[in-house]
Amino acid sequence: MTKNFPPERIRNFSIIAHIDHGKSTLADRFLEITGAVDMRKKQAQMLDSMDLERERGITIKAAAVSLTHVINGEEYLLNLIDTPGHVDFAYEVEKSLQACEGALLLIDAAQGIQAQTVANAMLAMDQDMVVIPVFNKMDLPHARPDEIKDELENTLLLDRDSAIECSAKTGAGITDVLEAIVEQIGPPEGDPNKPLRALIFDAKYDEYRGIVVYLRMVDGKLNKGDWIHMIGAEADYEAIEIGKFMPKPVPHQHLCVGEVGYLISNIKRLEDVRVGDTVTVMKGQRAELLVGYREPQPMVWCGIYPTNSGDFENLRAALKALKLNDSSIIFDPESSDALGFGFRCGFLGLLHMEIVQERLEREGGIDIVQTAPTVPYEVIMNDGTIKVIHSPGELPDPVMFTEIREPVVTVHILVPTESIGPIMKLCTERRGVFMRQEHLSASRVMLTWDMPLSEIIYDFYDRLKSGTKGYGTMNFDEPHFEVGNLVKLRILVNGIEADALSLICHADSSQRRGRAVLQKLLKEIPRHQFQIPLQAAVGGKIMARENIRALSKNVTAKCYGGDITRKRKLLEKQKEGKKRMKSIGNVEVPQKAFLAVLATDD
Amino acid sequence: MGTRRKKLNENGVGLYVHLPFCKSKCRYCDFNSYAWTGQSLQSYVDALLIEAEQRIKGLKPQTVFFGGGTPTFLPADLLSQLLEELNRICGFRASSLETTMEANPESVNEERILAILAGGVNRLSIGIQSLQADVLEAYDRVHSPDQARQALALAQQHFQNFSADLIFAFPGQDPERWRLDLAEVLNFAPNHISCYELSYEPGTALTRLRDVGRWNAEDPDLCEYLFKQTGEQCSAAGYQRYEISNFCQPDHQCLHNLAAWQSFDFIGIGAGAASSMAGTRRHNIERPDAYQAVIENGGDPLSREERPNAETVLFEHMLMGMRLTQQGVSRQRAKRQTGLDPWQEYRDQLVDLGQQGLIHADGDLDQICVTPRGALLLDHILMQFLPSASV
Repeated sequence: MTKNFPPERIRNFSIIAHIDHGKSTLADRFLEITGAVDMRKKQAQMLDSMDLERERGITIKAAAVSLTHVINGEEYLLNLIDTPGHVDFAYEVEKSLQACEGALLLIDAAQGIQAQTVANAMLAMDQDMVVIPVFNKMDLPHARPDEIKDELENTLLLDRDSAIECSAKTGAGITDVLEAIVEQIGPPEGDPNKPLRALIFDAKYDEYRGIVVYLRMVDGKLNKGDWIHMIGAEADYEAIEIGKFMPKPVPHQHLCVGEVGYLISNIKRLEDVRVGDTVTVMKGQRAELLVGYREPQPMVWCGIYPTNSGDFENLRAALKALKLNDSSIIFDPESSDALGFGFRCGFLGLLHMEIVQERLEREGGIDIVQTAPTVPYEVIMNDGTIKVIHSPGELPDPVMFTEIREPVVTVHILVPTESIGPIMKLCTERRGVFMRQEHLSASRVMLTWDMPLSEIIYDFYDRLKSGTKGYGTMNFDEPHFEVGNLVKLRILVNGIEADALSLICHADSSQRRGRAVLQKLLKEIPRHQFQIPLQAAVGGKIMARENIRALSKNVTAKCYGGDITRKRKLLEKQKEGKKRMKSIGNVEVPQKAFLAVLATDD
Repeated sequence: MGTRRKKLNENGVGLYVHLPFCKSKCRYCDFNSYAWTGQSLQSYVDALLIEAEQRIKGLKPQTVFFGGGTPTFLPADLLSQLLEELNRICGFRASSLETTMEANPESVNEERILAILAGGVNRLSIGIQSLQADVLEAYDRVHSPDQARQALALAQQHFQNFSADLIFAFPGQDPERWRLDLAEVLNFAPNHISCYELSYEPGTALTRLRDVGRWNAEDPDLCEYLFKQTGEQCSAAGYQRYEISNFCQPDHQCLHNLAAWQSFDFIGIGAGAASSMAGTRRHNIERPDAYQAVIENGGDPLSREERPNAETVLFEHMLMGMRLTQQGVSRQRAKRQTGLDPWQEYRDQLVDLGQQGLIHADGDLDQICVTPRGALLLDHILMQFLPSASV
């Protein structure tokens, strides 16, 4: 099927859902019902194409797929633009939404509305999109649609009767959902007679074919062989292949108004493809830039260094490749006394950071060391200028500035009523300021707190989960900056300041945090042949100290004739482990030590 | 006592015979041993003798070592038969300088002792491990402290040459209790004693217990303290530490193991037994049932065989030889046996380790040997010899 559809027969939609509410299963069901995928060839969850996504059960990268479905004798082209489901990825959700006219708000009929679903649905409604509530998992015995309809009305002001009930697992109600998409979501608007204008909403790198660009057609027509111009990047390319995802890429001769597809131009320069950019024609009348995407605001920063210093350029290439289909990553070269040359990287959140680290190691094949994450701080210098810093190492001498401002966010937390106590306590411990409490239904409450972002980026989400038996969810908006009594906690290993281990924290907690960091280092840094003093200091004042005792014994007790090969291999393994360590002065510090500092289970 | 009659021959061969069955498996044990579940011991011995016919006919080994498992788990008549047949096949009684059999206290009795003495065994090595009931129980050992004492008394009575194995660094061990255990064993005047630090080998029950938090991990400071205390106590009783964990009265080293630490050839028969002959390393099939089945079908119970390259052979030569805390590695012998000169291959490392006071090494001297401090850091020393770009 390589024909084109007129705009009135096209619907572009996405699915907004919380993790595990069944989005991937629903997408699979669509593919099956519309015949896009042969049942036997189907691997569970077609849309999650990265290993990592399957492993974690979350969709990180938005993907697109085109379906055809006949309703009342008319064949429609339905373009599903997948959205990620985790709290970190609001930015990607926004990108996906901009390529659509409507969205399904998928809600687990047993679990109900989650904080982040509310946030994403709001995002869609702000863009005047049609939002169709869909209750999934209606086959579960503990599904409670009536109560969730209350939540729908109370949180999103959506009509309780607009909800469609279905089960992606059994297939019940799926055709109702497809019909609602056609009936309720409007066709894309665009003028086929205007010059070409298409939005780049995603991209990925293919080793053999160069960069594959994901396009949403707005105006005009794109033909195979056309020469195109990327307005923002100011780059020209030939459209060597264009096509649609059915769900595998299928080449087409043209892409028309409202359609969603891909473009292959043998693009090798990663910087030429910017998600959010507009594609137009190279010659003749050019179009104007579409409303570009908002630049992402990375709120978690950390240093990423190659374990092997010779890998610096490889790391740069790997980060560039990742940036191509995850434009929310920001990175700049930096150097550290302890870790050598690396990059200071900004992420949307902690999970995002973790995923990037894993993708660098898995896809880029590079061993990396990552420093403790931090939030950006605004430092008000003596002359009144504001300096934004992304790492504790950038903090100027205390005599140079008057105050430090830290990002504070308004957090919305949805919890079962019985968990209010523990969550209130948690928020208070994390320097939160209580704002309000709203009852959404008989059993669920939304708590609103103002909290320093730095208190959230460590393990707040985990604590929230454990404090609510897994039912708590949270979401937070753009941060604003507030003055805080903040200090730089310096960590010294064998007398040498380890900038990669230092952190900025509240003055009141500096001693507690310092002790906690030293305890972790004590556990993670192996003994050396000499004693290693560890110190935590604020300015010149030592807040905590510990000693790693000298290693004076390291010998295999038993080794006989039959063991030779095995003992040799054990020693080789030990030696290999040392190579993965980083030197601070003459102390070998394993990556685990850098990571252990992140966790604040103190 | 008195001095040894003969010295090991650099070109001689040691024979190792593996008897894998035990009454039960100890928690720390990572040897190829199995709790006996009623299978025919006779069939195992039959298979072993078939392998012997095929691989060691006329061998005339310079040492023999029966290890396990628990060799004395076999009944006396089967032990007699094994020794008789083995002697017929390889002539060890005439050739062997030392024929050792391992034993565990629960299976040591006069009947078995007389049988093995008659069969040509002249050295008994008893696994005592501890004289504390709670420690023995924690290790899942099946004998009592009193059974251990009785076994030592029997060995003392019947053997000119016997050894005891002990384990220290039980979690939280009181050094004084360990000192008393060792003193009591030394009172039986064994000619040789092995004192091992409790080690957590991959795959053992003990390691699993530790990893799930049901067994306290080792305390490196306690281990070091006990290691030193053990050395001092043995030394005061007239025993020299000739290997990291082995002590002996003068001239009573375990010759079979001494040969292995010097990388002399040895050949092993039985399930899982290892051999090192003329540069080739060989391992037999580990599981006794599979081992037997292959032999019964006329096959070779070979599991894997390799010929390491010269650099690896030299490293392994160091790995074994440096364990000998008194004699160390002989540069000339290393050259003869591996074709490589450690002073050429490891010059920088040797000089550096010498400066750190971890080894006595001098390019003009033949011997490369650990210092007392170096003995405690042997794994660290050995790692310096590994190629840094390995793997």
